[in-house]
Amino acid sequence: MAAGNYEGSLMRTTGLRAATILPMVALVLAACGGGTSGGQRLTGGTATFAELPDAKPNYIFPLTSGGYFSVANLSQFQFLMFRPLYWFGQDGKVALNSSLSLANEPVYTDGGKTVTMKLKGWNWSDGTKITSRDIEFWMNMLKANIGSWAAYSPKEFPDNVVAMTFPDDQTAVFTLDKVYGSYFFTYNELSQITPMPQHAWDKTSDSSPIGDYDRDPKKAVQVYKYLDGQSKSVGTYNTNPLWQVVSGPWKLKSMSTDGHVALVPNPGYSGPVKPTLAEFDEQPYTTDTAEFNVVHAGGVDYGYIPNQDVDQKASLKNYTFAPWIGWSITYFPENFGNPKNGAIYKQLYFRQAMQHLIDQPTMVKNIFKGYASPDYGPVPIQPDNNYADAFERSNPYPYDPDAAAKLLKDNGWAVNPGGVSTCTSPGTGPGQCGEGVKAGAKASFNLQYASGQVVVDQEMQVLKTAFSKAGIEINLSSAPFDTVISTAFGGNPNWDMANWGGGWIFAPDYYPTGDEIFSTGAGSNAGLYSDATNDANTVATTESNDLKSLYTYEDFLAKDLPVVWIPVANAQLSMVKKTLHGWDPQDPLLQLNPENWYFTSS
Amino acid sequence: MTGFLLRRLGQSAVVVLGVTIITFVLTRLLPGGVARAILGTRASPVSIAEFNRDNGLDLPTWQQYLFYLNQLLHGNLGFSYRLNEGVGTLLGDHLPKTIILLGASTLLALAIAVPLGIMQAVRRNKVEDYFFTTLSFALYSMPTFWLGLILIIFFSVDLNVLSPQGPQGDISTYLDPEQLASLVLPVVTLALVTIALFSRYMRSSMLDNLVQDYVRTARAKGVSNTGVLYRHVLRNALIPIVTLLGLSLPGIFSGALIVEAIFNYPGMGLLFWDSARTRDFPVLLGVTLVVAVATVVGNLLADIGYAVVDPRVRITE
Repeated sequence: MAAGNYEGSLMRTTGLRAATILPMVALVLAACGGGTSGGQRLTGGTATFAELPDAKPNYIFPLTSGGYFSVANLSQFQFLMFRPLYWFGQDGKVALNSSLSLANEPVYTDGGKTVTMKLKGWNWSDGTKITSRDIEFWMNMLKANIGSWAAYSPKEFPDNVVAMTFPDDQTAVFTLDKVYGSYFFTYNELSQITPMPQHAWDKTSDSSPIGDYDRDPKKAVQVYKYLDGQSKSVGTYNTNPLWQVVSGPWKLKSMSTDGHVALVPNPGYSGPVKPTLAEFDEQPYTTDTAEFNVVHAGGVDYGYIPNQDVDQKASLKNYTFAPWIGWSITYFPENFGNPKNGAIYKQLYFRQAMQHLIDQPTMVKNIFKGYASPDYGPVPIQPDNNYADAFERSNPYPYDPDAAAKLLKDNGWAVNPGGVSTCTSPGTGPGQCGEGVKAGAKASFNLQYASGQVVVDQEMQVLKTAFSKAGIEINLSSAPFDTVISTAFGGNPNWDMANWGGGWIFAPDYYPTGDEIFSTGAGSNAGLYSDATNDANTVATTESNDLKSLYTYEDFLAKDLPVVWIPVANAQLSMVKKTLHGWDPQDPLLQLNPENWYFTSS
Repeated sequence: MTGFLLRRLGQSAVVVLGVTIITFVLTRLLPGGVARAILGTRASPVSIAEFNRDNGLDLPTWQQYLFYLNQLLHGNLGFSYRLNEGVGTLLGDHLPKTIILLGASTLLALAIAVPLGIMQAVRRNKVEDYFFTTLSFALYSMPTFWLGLILIIFFSVDLNVLSPQGPQGDISTYLDPEQLASLVLPVVTLALVTIALFSRYMRSSMLDNLVQDYVRTARAKGVSNTGVLYRHVLRNALIPIVTLLGLSLPGIFSGALIVEAIFNYPGMGLLFWDSARTRDFPVLLGVTLVVAVATVVGNLLADIGYAVVDPRVRITE
């Protein structure tokens, strides 16, 4: 997902008034709720959840365009009302959750070129059955409005679906353009589908009757414009009849432009877990300080503690501290296309030297106070998973300034610790600086990083100091997140390195292939890294179900360093009221399932 | 008077137009592209081109400005692609909240500062004067964020009697007792700092006037102390306060960023800050326009206010 959004800063920083009155609102004892270790289980009540300061939900239509493709809009808002065809995340693991999915597990035939999806016969909130027509509606809308869809990557979904048939109202069959691995296609392609209520939404205006407009690409554009237009007035979401037809366990009660969201149970939800809370509220916070003040006063049920304040967690006796680890990697790219320094970045030995200068374990301990994990490659090491292999976990380039200096010396550089190293032996032979690196080229680079996060400030200062030990001068500058993104992706080739303070979260493309970030020409390959071996390895991960292909891919990139790997901060340091239960484990895909939540009396 | 008002209104329109031009051009000079910042790292060149075309960002700057001005004259302040809402709606949500916060704190500050300034002037160089002078300087020198946090720790965390955040939700609920109670801390935080400012002006202005000839004359004519103080001196001493109030009007419209941030109060200050940080140009321009209008109106009201409180000042044609 997009960097300002899904892979942006994931450190949660922010809810209250309703919380102060919440547990008293509906203290109706469950007739047979059973006691818990925390007291009597209660039915009802309003649970409050703190939103991130810069992550307020503001888009409801589940065919989301780039500006609104975010955790706040999808995982923590839309998905509560509009369930994806396939739900991922189970018991804190990244895995297909068949129980919560609208369809049974997809069946691949024809060697992997055909996939069949069978719906479970669940209902929309208005009692109408969820049918294959709703899948078709989403697909038709997607194909006709592909430029507006945030997750579109040419030649991938839905371009790789060459034919669709719907044998009955519960079955959808896709024919694919080639054989794909079921892991890749299910986790990264089918995962994107969110059936939409064709019987309620297939119209071109308020007064238009419901029709089959989506089957005509031109009219599908009109339908999209209508629905997207209806999504452009956040204050009307709760009164607009369109958005009242939902497939998920929650319905919208109210929503405001400043980010307040109130959801109530959908009594018609067909899924296995019905909400027992009377209401679930998401509350906006202007800053993490404001949120933490409210946590201090006990005013929010599910909040967080800012990383810089984590030492105060023990003083918050009414809360459980729970680090939330996201399914993400963190890195910053060097610009291989930089006309001045790109040739230097293209030298593997130089990239290896830089990676040797990053002391991730110490950064995790001292800067993140232990609430982060090292990142040595393109597959997340945390939470525990079998996608990251032993080699990637082994830290192929441990912190070693001497080794970094030696790599430079051995390749024709005059190393000047504390100063600026220069290339003294240009050329492509052994012991020379490498292709395109000119005599006198200086190891001096600009690094722009996202402002506003104390930990990123500290991380960059540590990095600057460490790099200087091998005579690599880093000229730091901070800028707002959006500026950094514009620098890295804006088309101006003169930037050196850009750290937007995040990296990438694998959602809703959950299988951690790098087709969108490290492949040649990939849309999110900011640094223009290009390697034929990696491209072939990446294609193999999409075609094979054998994890070995993923291991081959990640081992290569762990060694080849398409970017500079840096520690992955926990997505959030959650602080959850001790009277709130059912939220654990926290989903690494950062989704919320408040239908599992309940209060106890103490 | 009518001519004066028309002339000033004309000048004000020119000033506001100038502000729109300068602000518009400045936003276009910011480095980096808006589309990429909004659409994120996954955006394809096609979607970026579509976004630029849909939002007129592919046109020359002067054409973009004329388009903006035309929309403005038709009452359309634009659309925030970042917040997915019309700028008019956003201003309609945030501006009343800010006016309530800043208006209430300014009124509270005046209600305390004016009598305090008078008392300090009358009791100058006495214990009370020294005490309140010290207190005023102490309050005035306190960073707002620090004062706000201290109040939160004491009243919200330790005593648990007041909410650590301002009123939340729709403004129509602000008269609920609980919502009103939530206003106490942010209003008091702002008022405490402002009291110090107003009371110091009031004290010195009173002292200036107490030694004027007209005061001696009034006393010689047998006017009582109370009469001198409230009928003669107070009116003249209020002139600098009127100036201050006029100049504070833009502030009432532009919000109090730090207090809004500390007390989780979604006002104009934060709206402006966030729009600047995220390159939400339509919102940036909308807030700037509101503040520009408030500034010229504030100055105009201050000029008129002089004439009302000071008979020596008369507006001439």
